[in-house]
Amino acid sequence: MYRYDEFDAAFVQERTAQFSDQVARRLTGDLNEDQFRPLRLMNGLYLQLHAYMLRIAVPYGTMNARQMRMLAHIARTYDRGYGHFTTRQNIQFNWPKLRDVPRILADLASVEMHSIQTSGNCIRNITTDQFAGAAADEIIDPRPVAEILRQWSSLHPEFSYLPRKFKIAMTGATADRAAIRFHDIGLQATTSKLGEIGWQVWVGGGLGRTPMIGKMISGFVPHEHLLAYLESILRVYNRYGRRDNKFKARIKILVHEEGLDSIRQQVEEEFAHLKGGVLTLPQEELDRITRYFAQPDYELVNQTTVDVAREKIVNPPYGRWLERNLNAHRQPGYVSVTISLKPVGGAPGDATDTQMDAIADLAERYSANELRVSHEQNIVLPHVKVTDLPAVYAALVDQGLADGNAGQITDIICCPGLDFCALANARSIPLAQELTRKFQSPERQAEIGDLKIKISGCINACGHHHVGHIGILGVEKKGTELYQITVGGDATENAAIGDILGHGFVADAVPDAIERLVDTYIARRTSADEPFITAYRRLGKEPFKEALYGNA
Amino acid sequence: MLDLALSPIRQHKPDKLRQLGIMSLNGMFDEMDGAGVLRQAVTELLPGDIAIVSSFGADSVVLLHMVAEVDRTLPVYFLETGKHFPETLAYVETLKRHLGLANVIALHPDPSDVARFDAGGDLWETDPDSCCHIRKTEPLDARVSGLGGWVTGRKRFQTAERGVLPHFELTADDRIKVNPLAYFSDADITAYKLKYGLPEHPLYSKGYKSIGCAPCTSVVAEGEDPRAGRWRGLNKKECGIHFDFNGAIAKPMAAQELNLFKDGKFIADPFRPWVEGDDPAAARYTHIPLPVFLDNRDAVLANPHPLGLLVSPGDKVELARGDLDRFVSIAINFPAFTDGRGYSSARLLVERYGYKGELRAVGDVLHDQISHMRRCGITAFVVRHEPTKKALIEGKLATVDIFYQPVGLTEIPLGTRPFLRRRAVENA
Amino acid sequence: MEILTGNELMSGATVYLDRDGRWVEELQQARIFGNEDLEAREAALAATRKTLRIVSLEVETVTLRDGIIYPDRIRERIRAEGPTAPRFDRQHLDEDGHVSI
Repeated sequence: MYRYDEFDAAFVQERTAQFSDQVARRLTGDLNEDQFRPLRLMNGLYLQLHAYMLRIAVPYGTMNARQMRMLAHIARTYDRGYGHFTTRQNIQFNWPKLRDVPRILADLASVEMHSIQTSGNCIRNITTDQFAGAAADEIIDPRPVAEILRQWSSLHPEFSYLPRKFKIAMTGATADRAAIRFHDIGLQATTSKLGEIGWQVWVGGGLGRTPMIGKMISGFVPHEHLLAYLESILRVYNRYGRRDNKFKARIKILVHEEGLDSIRQQVEEEFAHLKGGVLTLPQEELDRITRYFAQPDYELVNQTTVDVAREKIVNPPYGRWLERNLNAHRQPGYVSVTISLKPVGGAPGDATDTQMDAIADLAERYSANELRVSHEQNIVLPHVKVTDLPAVYAALVDQGLADGNAGQITDIICCPGLDFCALANARSIPLAQELTRKFQSPERQAEIGDLKIKISGCINACGHHHVGHIGILGVEKKGTELYQITVGGDATENAAIGDILGHGFVADAVPDAIERLVDTYIARRTSADEPFITAYRRLGKEPFKEALYGNA
Repeated sequence: MLDLALSPIRQHKPDKLRQLGIMSLNGMFDEMDGAGVLRQAVTELLPGDIAIVSSFGADSVVLLHMVAEVDRTLPVYFLETGKHFPETLAYVETLKRHLGLANVIALHPDPSDVARFDAGGDLWETDPDSCCHIRKTEPLDARVSGLGGWVTGRKRFQTAERGVLPHFELTADDRIKVNPLAYFSDADITAYKLKYGLPEHPLYSKGYKSIGCAPCTSVVAEGEDPRAGRWRGLNKKECGIHFDFNGAIAKPMAAQELNLFKDGKFIADPFRPWVEGDDPAAARYTHIPLPVFLDNRDAVLANPHPLGLLVSPGDKVELARGDLDRFVSIAINFPAFTDGRGYSSARLLVERYGYKGELRAVGDVLHDQISHMRRCGITAFVVRHEPTKKALIEGKLATVDIFYQPVGLTEIPLGTRPFLRRRAVENA
Repeated sequence: MEILTGNELMSGATVYLDRDGRWVEELQQARIFGNEDLEAREAALAATRKTLRIVSLEVETVTLRDGIIYPDRIRERIRAEGPTAPRFDRQHLDEDGHVSI
């Protein structure tokens, strides 16, 4: 894992002091709210419905036990004993008071964390695959480059007042677990014809009011030129992205309106100037950063597999957990474990301070002191010995964190919705709770298999509804919450935006509507091995439309 | 701000005047009897304790003629700023001969001041107030601070700002200023010159109506305020050596705040905003909007005056890249602090096109963006937000001074790992 | 009918303008502005802005049912009650969070 040196430490300390000064000036009136708002947002501080909300970055989703314990401490000390993990590998606290925020930032700085650029019209937290550095299907660990991008983008003087927010996601694996096609820039590790590893660059993806799948702007950019290439894209966007309409200000609109070829040409022109300049990444610097992400000292273990089938008979909940919540590891005898933050009836992504402390203990004891936050709002223990799985599971059971539902219908991505969010039009958490209750039977979930439900409480799509196999979008119509259902979305390398099949439903009618979709799928799938999304692609909208709205 | 305080300790010699009363003194003389006023001052009020300061400008000859009439040994101080037209220096000699002035004393600026503040000789351009200060106020101050009073050539109608000017003024430190020409109009001056056949300043016939130092004097158009040619475009009307009626120091910039922050302090801004309808061929000391420049490129390039360029969001600086040297200043417009396009424009100008003149931020310039602006190469800031001004003056900007990304030309790599990590150059 | 609402700067707590010009936590104490009170409403907004202490200032339409103030928007009902799921008490004002106009 990356460790701050004196420079990094001084940087977050100076930033914390600067923010404290900004708060102080807001209190004296030297800054009015219009002047203060962009500043506090750039430091992750929102004003939501009931209170402030502080969003803290977990850069590229990686943290250690000490950092997780600090999050628990913050939850306990300044908040209400819990935090909410988000789709962009951040954590949000819903109840901090303005005067406490500088103290929270100082506490964070003491464990090498910050909330820099977790909001605002700037380059946001760089996100990546939650299994980075551990996954068996990985070409390269993306985190050293992600760390370099974090540094490059932190308080970038040219790109702090962009037309709109700017999100970068990257993956070093062949399977896209970071939704890179739905980011302003997506980076996919790839190998050139000469065998050199570099990056495929995708641009103009995004969700929100105008969902778009990113387009490939460059098939290969070597490490050494990546920063210059990204700076070129950002400069073109900063200069020519629309600023006249907030809803058309993302780079996806610029790419859409001007055309990929035109944008590519502008970026290439800029890149011709910047390439080979000060942003050229020296190999020794990449090597230096890479050393921080060295593989842990793995033990050579005799047992490298676990007999899931047997465990499913002996201890069905444990067996199901093994079946769903493990991810193949590059090191024999190890796996990555997904800790589900999606208990039946819970708020997706929430964890209490006690749970956070317990997870920190597990990381220390069983996962080389490493933790990950996934964009699906779960926590990952990336490096767990197969032989430690029973102990890990037992500890998770004690904390109510042992749901074996990763990737299943109850593993719902869900935004805070109208219960917390100032932008939302409808609630989303109660709906997620209702759906998890409806589909709580493990047998039923197993029968359904892989199915991703994603819920947003407004068109801004923080809950990624567009790319849910089943997506749910809350809207308000004449004082009533209505939910529009989309089907067929996919956030992976097979990127697709879900289809709207018809009118919305009132909240009470949604669980049954979802069940009808599920039943239609089960009835028409070729076999239990054909997942929902595959069946939908094969069958098309019609059967599902009929399931929702009948034949009329 | 200007510091115009004539030196602090002065002798008090006003008793006689106090008894007399300034009002009654002012009623004693006919409006046109300048020589009478002068005689009263030199022989009755302050014998041996008064001097005259003359610029040897277009109208100076009238007052000097009166001096010659009253007492040709009266000390006449001439501020030899080093910036005069050669014609002015020749005119000094002409008048000495013609009027028989026996005691003309040239006052030079302190060479150490010039070396320190105006080594390049262009202070007049960037900070005309300071230029006046070291070349006029300081030398004069040293000489007249011990006197009980002095004679000025100010006229009632010289500019609109001067308003009612009496023959005699009492300053706050109880000294007397004598204005023999207080009631003279331009026509009176012309008539007086004609009547006595006085020699004209050589530049007068060339259109100069009010003549000071060469760089700050221009031709006045027909019908224009005569002093309009002084500090034209500089928002400056007085050179700082005159006192107002109450004796308070007449601060020429007092009515206008100092908004330009540069080199660590707020200074007078020689530029005024471009106004719709300004003539690109004749404008001076204004930032021409980039689109206007592109439409009038030939006229602007032929315009001999100092000019700036205004770059607003959306403007493509690359279109002017070959002409940047034409502009002594480029203003990056931030109409709202949330509009970050100016940062890219600034970096392109400095880093790609090598612009080396003044790069200033104008518009919504606030505390928390200044460090970003600096990093992108902006060196001057037109600031109107009071708390921001205060923070700048007090040196209390809240900033992060170590940087991850290499940007601009004013950052230095840190330590043994020059990649990314930077620190600001001291005082940048 | 309308009420004025916002969030207090320090705590972020939801507050309403009451009849005495105080910004209070209780929705039912909110001052109701009718159509004829436009001037008073604008004056109250202006005076509030001057304090710099109430942010996200908004005019909300409400209905009176048996003397009970009932906001028209769901959002406002949730703001008044606190989150419905998970259920949490609202944010409260601190000692120094009391603002008057």
